Amino acid sequence: MPDPSKIKFLVVDDFSTMRRIVRNLLKELGYVNADEAEDGAIALQKLKNGEFNFVVSDWNMPNMDGLQLLQAIRADPNLKHLPVLMITAEAKKENIIAAAQSGAHGYIVKPFTAATLNEKLIKIFEKLESAST
Amino acid sequence: MAKPIKFDESGDSEDLQSLFDSIAGGGAPVAIAPVETKFVSDASGDSDELQALFDSVAAESPAVMSADKVPEGGEVFNRLGRMTRELHDSLRELGYDKLLGDTARAIPDARQRLAYIAQMTEQAASRVLNATDIAKPIQDDLQQQSEALGVRWEKVFTNQLSVDEFKALAGDTHGFLRQVPAQTRATNAQLTEIMMAQDFQDLTGQVIKKVVDMAQAMEAQLLALLVEAMPQELRAEAPPGLLNGPVINAQGRSDVVSSQAQVDDLLESLGF
Repeated sequence: MPDPSKIKFLVVDDFSTMRRIVRNLLKELGYVNADEAEDGAIALQKLKNGEFNFVVSDWNMPNMDGLQLLQAIRADPNLKHLPVLMITAEAKKENIIAAAQSGAHGYIVKPFTAATLNEKLIKIFEKLESAST
Repeated sequence: MAKPIKFDESGDSEDLQSLFDSIAGGGAPVAIAPVETKFVSDASGDSDELQALFDSVAAESPAVMSADKVPEGGEVFNRLGRMTRELHDSLRELGYDKLLGDTARAIPDARQRLAYIAQMTEQAASRVLNATDIAKPIQDDLQQQSEALGVRWEKVFTNQLSVDEFKALAGDTHGFLRQVPAQTRATNAQLTEIMMAQDFQDLTGQVIKKVVDMAQAMEAQLLALLVEAMPQELRAEAPPGLLNGPVINAQGRSDVVSSQAQVDDLLESLGF
């Protein structure tokens, strides 16, 4: 399990309250290194310019939505390895399937609990570790 | 004679009235020419629409404009005039012209109310998050200190501390106990702040109710108007797509999930 404080997160959501909540939850879990973006386009720019290790993103956002961001990340050779966790209110089965097929590592549906976030993060890290060994 | 249409305050409606009347009364072709110029120079939206309507019908009957085929041109104008007159009359008789006007005026009000709701809820969220930001370090500190003291007290009961160490521990414990009430009082104050921040619910609840009532009234009026104007069946197709927002009522729906457990099951069943 990598050192939590070394992992740089990007939290993407158009609602500032939600960004604040997710960052606080991450901090409580030990992930103190996090930046934010309010839509997919700004997020993609930050990802291309910064050294991020993990993306937590909403779906329904202006300019570039979460699915489009996910697809853009997977299409970029420098970014396609990034783990992406969707946290969204979109609850149609179509959404879940589309996200999974586009390469999301996890899908959390709002409203969610701190325990769920922790569980999904651990699961993703375990998968990444077993993939690299 | 009927009153001019209320929501069109310009003199145009009276012009239209007299135009309809003159055409309905079998107006001579000569009357048409001067009226045409009147439309062109009249800048109100009403005559622009009529103009466009005339143009489109005129395009379908190319013979209309020619001087020798004047009777046909007259007939087209006749029909159009009658149709538009009927529409205006229906609107007035059903009282929709005033209702539509009221409805259109209510929309900026609804926008304002919704903006108010967004503002109130954002303020409340901010207050609560600020309160937790203040209270959390206090609690973390209490936890740390009590745990550290607890470890030292364990040693007392296993006879691992010297007398001096024990005296020091007693002093530290005493000091800790003296500051606990202040810490807990501070945390309680933040909890009260969080409770008070929920007061937005009362205000937003009232405003939401008003907006819902407004939306219901609008819906009823527009539906009734649609039914009058278009008796055939209206297609009601739910917009497809992936940007639907949170599911308000999952009852009876098989295309949505309603818990994280269902999300996980679905992903597992697909092999993800």
